[in-house]
Amino acid sequence: MPNIITCYKWVVDEADIKVEGNGALNFERAGRKISEYDRNAIEASVQIVEANGGSVTAVSLGGPEVKNSAKDCLSRGPDRAILALDAAFADTDAVTTALGLVRAIGTAGAYDLVLCGEGSGDVYGQQVGPRVAELLGIPSITFVNKLTVTATGVVAERKLEDGVEVVEADFPVLVTVLPDLNKPRIPGLKQVMGAAKKPVTVLDAAALGLTEAELGARAEARGVKAPASNRKQVKAESVTALAEAIAAALR
Amino acid sequence: MFTLTEEQELIRNTAREFAAQYCAPIAAEIDDEAKWPEESVAAMAELGLMGVPYPDKYGGAGADYLSYTIAVEEISRVCASTGVILSAHVSLACWPIYNFGTEEQKLRYLPDMTSGAKLGAFCLTEAGAGTDAGSQTTTAVLDGDCYVLNGSKVFITNGDKADVFIVFAMTDKSKGTKGISAFIVEKAFAGVAVGKHERKMGIRGAHTTEILLKDVRVPAANRLGKEGDGFKVAMATLDGGRIGIAAQALGIAQAALDESVRWAKERQQFGKPIAANQGLQFMIADMATQVQAARHLVYHAATLKDEGKPYSKEASMAKLFAAETAMQQSVKAVQIHGGYGYIKGTTAERLMRDAKITEIYEGTSEVQRMVIAANCLK
Repeated sequence: MPNIITCYKWVVDEADIKVEGNGALNFERAGRKISEYDRNAIEASVQIVEANGGSVTAVSLGGPEVKNSAKDCLSRGPDRAILALDAAFADTDAVTTALGLVRAIGTAGAYDLVLCGEGSGDVYGQQVGPRVAELLGIPSITFVNKLTVTATGVVAERKLEDGVEVVEADFPVLVTVLPDLNKPRIPGLKQVMGAAKKPVTVLDAAALGLTEAELGARAEARGVKAPASNRKQVKAESVTALAEAIAAALR
Repeated sequence: MFTLTEEQELIRNTAREFAAQYCAPIAAEIDDEAKWPEESVAAMAELGLMGVPYPDKYGGAGADYLSYTIAVEEISRVCASTGVILSAHVSLACWPIYNFGTEEQKLRYLPDMTSGAKLGAFCLTEAGAGTDAGSQTTTAVLDGDCYVLNGSKVFITNGDKADVFIVFAMTDKSKGTKGISAFIVEKAFAGVAVGKHERKMGIRGAHTTEILLKDVRVPAANRLGKEGDGFKVAMATLDGGRIGIAAQALGIAQAALDESVRWAKERQQFGKPIAANQGLQFMIADMATQVQAARHLVYHAATLKDEGKPYSKEASMAKLFAAETAMQQSVKAVQIHGGYGYIKGTTAERLMRDAKITEIYEGTSEVQRMVIAANCLK
């Protein structure tokens, strides 16, 4: 009966981002959503508990607006949520995010398994999961696309560039997951309506004991622009000529 | 004007995800083959969509009518056939039981219906009684503890798939509309048969059939409301049903806009996307404005219903405007698609055929105008 912590990030819905003429991104009308791979992590945790018993605690960190993520997350099956919310968390880097999450996890009680998405839908830094494991002092298994829970730990398949690696680890362990792992369920209406009844704990930076030095940014985003692509509109009389023209355009 | 609650937004997400996952891949196919979307209906049941606005006590999701409206809109945006299957079930079959049924009737029928285990249908229209619902020829004669029903109903949405029918029949012909009574009739009752399947212009995945009643013995305990209340039950049900159809029309109109925008940006003529032409831009602007206006009317009518305020006039306005918007915008969508829009299998073409029915069923646009005028002039 594993007690599972599942971490998620409340990211901008990229479908709502408008690109301005100068390549700048306009977030004015952009909604938020649970980052895609984190949905796989939530689904995995809920499936494990449905099969084995136990509990799922969802943990997230961000600016005050992340409070709006609670019902969305809880409608997907976790039993409760712990939210680290503070204006100072609005644009944190991976170091601070991991530290804040670890402090929040520290308030959750005993745990066996921590699940995270492999990377977030916005920056996809792939750092937070392993950093959380390091700070918790537990092993981490990344790139997991198949996960089995045993009585004492996990068996995980890691999808690597040159093959599949099967790894076993005892609890407690942290696993970061890939989207192949499962297909997140669509939250049913009863789950949506029931989400408001589940407990949500909110903790700010002070409650998590984070000092100003710990909150300080180590990296700074100077600007974000949409990638520009130019269509070359290669035209040719024959397939051979077209192939040559494409090859020339690629050089 | 409308800031949705978190629950309403999440229900929109659920309906949208359901539509993308289940309806989108088969919408063209079920239209072409007039094929019932079995898996989609099962998934709607699984997700709790078949009982959105009914309390937990009766097996529903316990959400509000606006949430239900949003769900119908989102589903119809992808597949109007699936939208009307849901709307006919929730608005026309579950609602009269919920609103007019005795506690015993509600507990007996609603949990199975709101869970989607049993599908509902609404049997008012007859060959000679459309808008003039008062000229019912189906009869119900009391015989002991049962009414014996005889007659035939036409254009019944969900007809061949429904397990529970809300049937209207004359208990006293001399009283005209005051002689109509409503009954809960189960498909399992002897003498209930499915007649002709209609071949329709649009919403072809939703089945529309005749329902034939021959010496059907319906327990008196299954009468909905008092004897003679049938017309009142029918009209009140259609008032709410109009919001469901308005939501369906809104979904179709939004889809017409979405398809037009997508095509206008993609389609290149004279070396540039057709969206670069101001004539087309103006069409898109007008379409978007109409769709948004329709949305406000539809959500407003649903909100009034949720607040327990009178909504008959507003529901008619929403239905009238949304249906005409769906029709006009889908015609424009075909126009924007040019020759491609006229080819079977394109979404624009299906939207135009699907849109037409929204101006006709659950009260034609002319009936909506009568309702609105009567409300304004009284």
